[in-house]
Amino acid sequence: MSESIIPESELEEVELYHPKSWWTEKVFSQDAKLIAIQYGLTAFAIGFVALVLSWFMRIQIAFPEMAIISEGTYYQFITMHGMIMVVYLLTALFLGAFGNYLIPLMVGARDMVFPYLNMVSYWTYLVAVLVLFVSFFTPGGPTGAGWTLYPPQAILGGTPGQETGIVLMLVSLCIFIVGFTMGGLNYVITVLQARTRGMTLMRMPLTVWGIFTATVLALFAFPALFVSAVMMLFDKLLMTSFFMPALVEFGENLSYGGGSPILFQHLFWFFGHPEVYIVALPAFGIVSDLISIHARKNIFGFRMMVWAIVGIGALSFIVWAHHMYVSGMNPYFGFFFATTTLIIAVPTALKVYNWILTLWKGNIHLTIPMLFCLGFIVTFLNGGLTGLFLGNVIVDVPLSDTYFVVAHFHMVMGIAPVLVILGAIYHWYPLITGKMLHDGMGRFHFWITFVGSYLIYFPMHYLGFIGVPRRYYEMGQTEALYTSSAADLNVFITIAALAVGFAQLVFIYNVFWSAKNGKVAEKNPWKSTSLEWQTPEQPPIHGNFGKELPVVYRWAYDYSVPGAEDDFIPQDVPNEKVKLAEGYTELGVEKT
Amino acid sequence: MSIFSILSQKPWTSDQAKIDDKHSGKSSSMPLPRVALYVSMVVMGVLFTLFSVAYIGRMAYGDWRVLPEPPLLWFNSLVILMSSFAFHKATLSLKENNNRRTREYLFLAGALTLGFITGQLFVWRELVSFGYFVSTNPSYAFFYLLTALHILHLLGGLIAWLFVVYKSFIAENESSNFPLSVNLCAIYWHFLLMVWLILFTMLLLT
Repeated sequence: MSESIIPESELEEVELYHPKSWWTEKVFSQDAKLIAIQYGLTAFAIGFVALVLSWFMRIQIAFPEMAIISEGTYYQFITMHGMIMVVYLLTALFLGAFGNYLIPLMVGARDMVFPYLNMVSYWTYLVAVLVLFVSFFTPGGPTGAGWTLYPPQAILGGTPGQETGIVLMLVSLCIFIVGFTMGGLNYVITVLQARTRGMTLMRMPLTVWGIFTATVLALFAFPALFVSAVMMLFDKLLMTSFFMPALVEFGENLSYGGGSPILFQHLFWFFGHPEVYIVALPAFGIVSDLISIHARKNIFGFRMMVWAIVGIGALSFIVWAHHMYVSGMNPYFGFFFATTTLIIAVPTALKVYNWILTLWKGNIHLTIPMLFCLGFIVTFLNGGLTGLFLGNVIVDVPLSDTYFVVAHFHMVMGIAPVLVILGAIYHWYPLITGKMLHDGMGRFHFWITFVGSYLIYFPMHYLGFIGVPRRYYEMGQTEALYTSSAADLNVFITIAALAVGFAQLVFIYNVFWSAKNGKVAEKNPWKSTSLEWQTPEQPPIHGNFGKELPVVYRWAYDYSVPGAEDDFIPQDVPNEKVKLAEGYTELGVEKT
Repeated sequence: MSIFSILSQKPWTSDQAKIDDKHSGKSSSMPLPRVALYVSMVVMGVLFTLFSVAYIGRMAYGDWRVLPEPPLLWFNSLVILMSSFAFHKATLSLKENNNRRTREYLFLAGALTLGFITGQLFVWRELVSFGYFVSTNPSYAFFYLLTALHILHLLGGLIAWLFVVYKSFIAENESSNFPLSVNLCAIYWHFLLMVWLILFTMLLLT
């Protein structure tokens, strides 16, 4: 035995909360794993609502003569679809669901450091979701201000939902932020202070690095949304003029005066752009791990991958105004923000190169998680490249407010992270439920989702190039400005969108069907090295790691190590216990 | 260890593994509540900074009117300064193992905080009586907003303070984390004092 091995009995034990009733075990649970599932189910439920809204919008755009929804409803659906997808689905899923499930397990902790706060965080999130959802049933309905909620129009008469919808949206966002902050404190401090023996920061899997950095970003960025939401609530309810300029509405002078709508835009995008990376960084981390596991190869350029995550996180705070090139701000600002936008592309591109170099000569298993990862790489690359177009002022100005922008952001922060989420669910489903998801349904789901997404969003780039504006309920007389292909393409896109939507129903069916009827998963079915698969029970039970916490002896990427009999060495296996392949005297050393 | 040296580690090498195997798994020896307070203070700092940036940004517009400075604000500032000082004295008494004196200072700090909050409410009443409503001018709106936010943070602190006072009565502080709790409360109060002084200076400068 080498002197580096630490006796397990030396590990500090953690006091663990034990539920005393069915309610505290199954409903008001303080176990991060159950909280993660609660977060996930709630996020998917409200996300499904947003998906259905998009079907209505697509049918309206393709077949305006049917007038399936009114103009006001169209704006309301756009707004709710955008806000739900970005904040209540993606953020909650990556940080609330994946963060809660994976952080304690991957760093070798029994639970989050503040389990009670963690529980409160979920229930606060649920209240935020319910407050938002209730706005569908209030007089005037939900807000139709667009997901960016720009004042002054967001709170003026004529904008759908300006009666109560906008108030409920702002209140819901504030509640969400309070809830997230409680969860965020937990994620950050668990990573910093509750790792098991031997788990240095650089031995953590990139999934944890991604979620950790995204949480730090969120803790810095969400206050900006909180500030703008509170100030806009004041403007709406108390008639202050933080953001509201002097206005005449329906021939009547309003009591507002002097406020600055641009100030809101700066605050909103100071949150809004890091939000892109709050979603993207966990996706980057997860995809790195999944590619490494399913290609049986260590991640290429591990340190650079960590640096890129941290670098992107830092840079994401100085690019916000590239969303405001057409807001009338000083052109010198535009120059600065275009430059920083191009700079942030460097670490991002570096990650893409490293994923590809990880695949290079890897033992690639085309499992469903791997298919989703490959889908992610090309989709993210596509979306990223159009980001370079829009990041440049001179190209952005004509493309702004066209379908090109819709195509860009759906590719880069809609489809790309969703592909990762889906891949991650296929990957970790056996850990969570002990069953495998049905392979056939999974492959059907992947191909329809992946190909369908391209059929939806590729044509939108073209629509953008020919100048078709976004946010229009119908083209109306402006249709004469475009070729007839625009209308035909809209029909085509809608059919593709409905097909992709149908595939998601198959996925949902698969998730519930497999939980009951799925093939029982063997232990560590993907032969992964990270700690979440090394628990005594699968699925892991309360406390995660049985009697003693694991001790970590290696990084998370020991795949296909020369000299090892298996093509993976779990993080908690010391060199002395690794089974050697024939012809080797120790790892990497052949018999002479 | 600095963040740069951590990020430059090569965890796959056997030399680094020998060092890493001995790592306790914690990034800091600080107790969890202390880390939690520091992280929370950073988030609160960001929140107040962003409000301040919005305040300064909004000041630049022509309709901004100078806020009257009720003299009571100076008195309130003195009260919150004293409450912070009382917390400081409580931590010093704790070091001398003088639990009775610690408790007395804790009560004094709480009472002074309540005094500050009441004082701020009086300032609001005074402003309203002069016709300076929240919708009259953005400078007044900011004043009400920022002071309300600051009071909310103090109220949150008072909840923690209640727990600490309760702990002080448990059999001569058998609870081992009592000194830490007092210490963290003191740090939080110093932080909110700093926030108030910055906000007050900002209000004076307009």
